[in-house]
Amino acid sequence: MIASPAVRRALLALGSATVIAAWIYAFLQLWQTSVPSDLSLPSLDPTRYFSQEDLDRASSYQAFLRIDYLLALVAELAALGLFAVKGPAFVRESAAGRIGTGMMLGMLGLAFVWLSQFPFGLAELWWERKHDVATQSYVTWIINDFLAAGGEFLFISLALLIVMALTGLMRRAWWIVAAPALVAVALAFALVQPYLLPDQHALRDQRIAADANRLAAAEGIPGTPVKVQDTRSLGGSPNALAAGLGPTQRVVLWDTLIRRFSPPEVRVVLAHEFAHLARHHLWKLFAWMALLGVPIAFLVALATRRRGGLYEPAAVPLAIFVVAALLLVTLPLQNAFSRRLEAEADWVALQTTRDPAAMTDLFRRLGRLSKAQPDPPGWDEVTFGDHPSIIKRIEMAQAWKESNPGR
Amino acid sequence: MTGEQPAATPPGEPPGTPPTAEVSPPGERARIVVRDDLERSRPTVFFRLILVIPHLLVLGIFSLLAFTLAFINWFAILFTRKAVAHDMQSRYLRYATHVFAYLNLGANPYPGFEGAPGSYPIDAEIPPSEPQNRWKTGFRFVLVVPALLLGGALGVSGGSSSYGNYYSVGAISAAAFLGWFAILAKRRMPRGLRDLVAYCLRYGVQFWAYALLVTDRYPDSDPLATKYGEPVPDHPIRISEDDDLRRSRLTVFFRLLLALPHIIWLSLWGIAVLFTVLANWFVTLFAGRPADALHRFNGAYLRYLTHVSAYLYIVANPFPGFVGRPGSYPIDLQIAPRERQNRWKTGFRIILGIPALLLAGAIGGALGLVALFGWFVGLFTAKMPPGLRNLGVFGLRYQAQVYGYLFLLTDRYPFSGPSLEQLPAPPAQVPEPA
Repeated sequence: MIASPAVRRALLALGSATVIAAWIYAFLQLWQTSVPSDLSLPSLDPTRYFSQEDLDRASSYQAFLRIDYLLALVAELAALGLFAVKGPAFVRESAAGRIGTGMMLGMLGLAFVWLSQFPFGLAELWWERKHDVATQSYVTWIINDFLAAGGEFLFISLALLIVMALTGLMRRAWWIVAAPALVAVALAFALVQPYLLPDQHALRDQRIAADANRLAAAEGIPGTPVKVQDTRSLGGSPNALAAGLGPTQRVVLWDTLIRRFSPPEVRVVLAHEFAHLARHHLWKLFAWMALLGVPIAFLVALATRRRGGLYEPAAVPLAIFVVAALLLVTLPLQNAFSRRLEAEADWVALQTTRDPAAMTDLFRRLGRLSKAQPDPPGWDEVTFGDHPSIIKRIEMAQAWKESNPGR
Repeated sequence: MTGEQPAATPPGEPPGTPPTAEVSPPGERARIVVRDDLERSRPTVFFRLILVIPHLLVLGIFSLLAFTLAFINWFAILFTRKAVAHDMQSRYLRYATHVFAYLNLGANPYPGFEGAPGSYPIDAEIPPSEPQNRWKTGFRFVLVVPALLLGGALGVSGGSSSYGNYYSVGAISAAAFLGWFAILAKRRMPRGLRDLVAYCLRYGVQFWAYALLVTDRYPDSDPLATKYGEPVPDHPIRISEDDDLRRSRLTVFFRLLLALPHIIWLSLWGIAVLFTVLANWFVTLFAGRPADALHRFNGAYLRYLTHVSAYLYIVANPFPGFVGRPGSYPIDLQIAPRERQNRWKTGFRIILGIPALLLAGAIGGALGLVALFGWFVGLFTAKMPPGLRNLGVFGLRYQAQVYGYLFLLTDRYPFSGPSLEQLPAPPAQVPEPA
């Protein structure tokens, strides 16, 4: 039976409406966190926690970085815009087939980006070194940056291999499968990522190791390994991360964090990172990527249609530009999602450690060391902040304290 | 081809009129004339290192004089554009070429102590004295560095002090080392090794002519610019070159990163090739010829490896495909269909391959420098010098023949001389349907 055009249109509309509704439902599900929805954060004055001198220094320090970052963004978009126009000419530099040429163009797009970002990265390092925030030498930075570009080249090659192979199989409908396929690759990478981090060793401090065991058990993930990473070559800033999925998941503390922070502060960091694992934040992040990836892939398919779609390698430069532009447009949304996950990890850490004073001290010290502005301008936080601002994190600690009298 | 090859005397013919400097048109580089017949005397080869000692002593003294003259000439050229004692320096370069041809088994007779032109089967022709560029002279000690590095890889630029240190570990030493065993066994220097020695000597004499201010012409690394004698027999694994020397600056700058997907794919494919080569070894050992499917599979991998290496070493410009399709790349490998192979050679293939691997390692050093210099030159001029490109092609061909031998694609031993590239280009292979 062949449906009439009107029926087909109606079915299409119904199908689209169902997909959009499912998308919104999934979005709302991912948006939920365990932070009480009625939690009201007290409005704190940063001068209670930081001296005026510290605040002024952080403000001037961050102002430069902000300008540098904004200029870098403009340069990146300009480079990719230029590449979208001039890039197809590079097809003649390839003797590879359709997919191979597409991969080469993808890598060249990133080469344009690397070149456009180089002066701004260098300026940022100069500024950080000037303010003793970074200790990395220029040569080390250049080598690391170049090698890191290699990782990005590989990633985009793999992504284009998948997408362009899909275009061969599904032609115009590739975008439906592309985002989940790419997320599957990212998941595979996340699974092995803990083994790719260099210079890791076991926790040598028995007291911290005991704390870690206790905290992991309290958060419902007993036996989760904790490793220490030697990060002298990375510039000396303190940091920690939760990495891996399922059997490979672990918490990695930078050695600089253990050296510079007190045991109660390290406990808060551990509880925070365990919370990321316990609350399945990495899974949520991938689900979020898949959710965001579908409309982005659809728009890329739409934008590249006039160049023959992503089946044609000559469409790759435009596709990269469109992806970069859409990621920039959706940056506030992505960061809002990231901030919610971080806030949830803070909240769980407070529930587990029941030590708001340690958390307050941790963020005060972190703010001073990284010269972060505790209370940045609203537009900056909304657009670029992937973690809550320092003052908001201290406010959460205070809010927890107020709702748990006696702590 | 540069078109600067001299008309070589046929092998075996005694040297007639000495090839004098007047024959060279102005502005030419120093060059090598090969009249060697490959025959060697076992006793003199066995004791070659001892026999050469008197020459090395004389050469050492001669070197002191040559360096002193070069120092004086640096000032002379800066002021007058002309070098002094050109004949003396030419004689020194010629004598050193004779001695090192003898030492490295590139020729058989004991050389004379005079460095007379045309007196030795491997001889150097030094161009006449000419006014030299003052800038090139003033900065010679800087300009000479790339040639010094390449000469080091070939084993002909030696140490820092004198021509007496000419002999150093490099391609020429590896060729001489292997040639020593071959001659003791067969009384003949293998043609490939002799041609490689001749090529290295040619680069050496050009390097020292430049370093000692005899000429301001930069040494030419082109292995095709020397006539090595009679054409060599063809080989089942040949390389074809259809490169226009143009280079894209952007892809040159990021060449290493752009090659990463290929390097990963090569590694993965290489794991499969390990097993297919092993399987083919059994098949060849029992059936006397490789399995056709395995031969094609391993051949495609080798062709792909050559494409990727050409790309990585900047010997070619375009981004290669991922399947090693014949005819798909400017630097391409022609692999003959499978043929019967000697079972003894098959059984002991890995052991037999060791000398070739040793030489491939030495030539690989020069290939690395081709990539390094090609990167800088390509970045600044968007072109690859033909000499460097041809050296790269030679290195890649030898590497491919070594792997082809180990992968049982042929039982013909790799030909180590650059003279194989002087044969007419192999017929282009029709690409298989995609």
